[in-house]
Amino acid sequence: MFTRFNDINRLFNAMDFFRNRLDSLYSDADWAYTPGLRWSVEDRFPKTNLYEDGDLFEIRAELPGIAKEDLNVKIQGNYLEISGARKSATPEKYSIHRTERDITSFTRSFTLPADVDSEKVKATLENGILTLTLPKSEAAKPKQITIA
Amino acid sequence: MSNKTDIVKAGEKNIEKTRTLETVLPPVDIYESDEEILLFADMPGVLKEDVKVNIDNGTLSLSGIRKLQPRGAARWEEFGDVEYRRNFSVPQTINVEKVYAELKDGVLKLHLPKSEAAKPRLIQINAA
Repeated sequence: MFTRFNDINRLFNAMDFFRNRLDSLYSDADWAYTPGLRWSVEDRFPKTNLYEDGDLFEIRAELPGIAKEDLNVKIQGNYLEISGARKSATPEKYSIHRTERDITSFTRSFTLPADVDSEKVKATLENGILTLTLPKSEAAKPKQITIA
Repeated sequence: MSNKTDIVKAGEKNIEKTRTLETVLPPVDIYESDEEILLFADMPGVLKEDVKVNIDNGTLSLSGIRKLQPRGAARWEEFGDVEYRRNFSVPQTINVEKVYAELKDGVLKLHLPKSEAAKPRLIQINAA
């Protein structure tokens, strides 16, 4: 009897799979058609990730369709500000069917967990993702202490 | 009684379980001119190799997979690996052979040229 249990499990796995697909279908529909959702505060700002790796921080931000000339990054101590604007990409002589991509300007600021050396910050913009490499300032770097 | 039947067919027993990526609808802009339909889709972080554009039986499906290489420990993470996926119905008047796509700054730009027959034509009137 219990040898069949495995089969039943698999059957439920298959059902879970369909349930997940259905769930995502509903959320997809909500996403596109719920008015207001796209204007919620969270969505007006680019999403960011902050990683900490030894003596540097790395910030990544989703910035699709923004040219590097339209981006500004300001750093002072542990304060970081990213601002920019996306220009309208509406081509001439085209009629509009649908515009979901916002044409907005944004500013987002962060307080980093430690001071960074603003001289050594590197920024790259690749495939719509801004990556900022922020080395920590000398005082904030982890230090090895030798026991006398 | 020996009429027991398997619930699952034998061939399907060893299905490999794959990690399902979260699917996200990319926001799109759609424009139309006399010559073509133009579609923009935001897919930040997706590489050219990971974008699939498929037109089959009047359905255009876009899919782009984003693989981020995380570095060190995450202090906060608001976005991760996702699959951008969206389907559209395309009119019959699209010339499927001539569809082409560009990916720049995380934005997919898809040109869907109209077939000759669907383009507006100015008809000359001849004096009789």
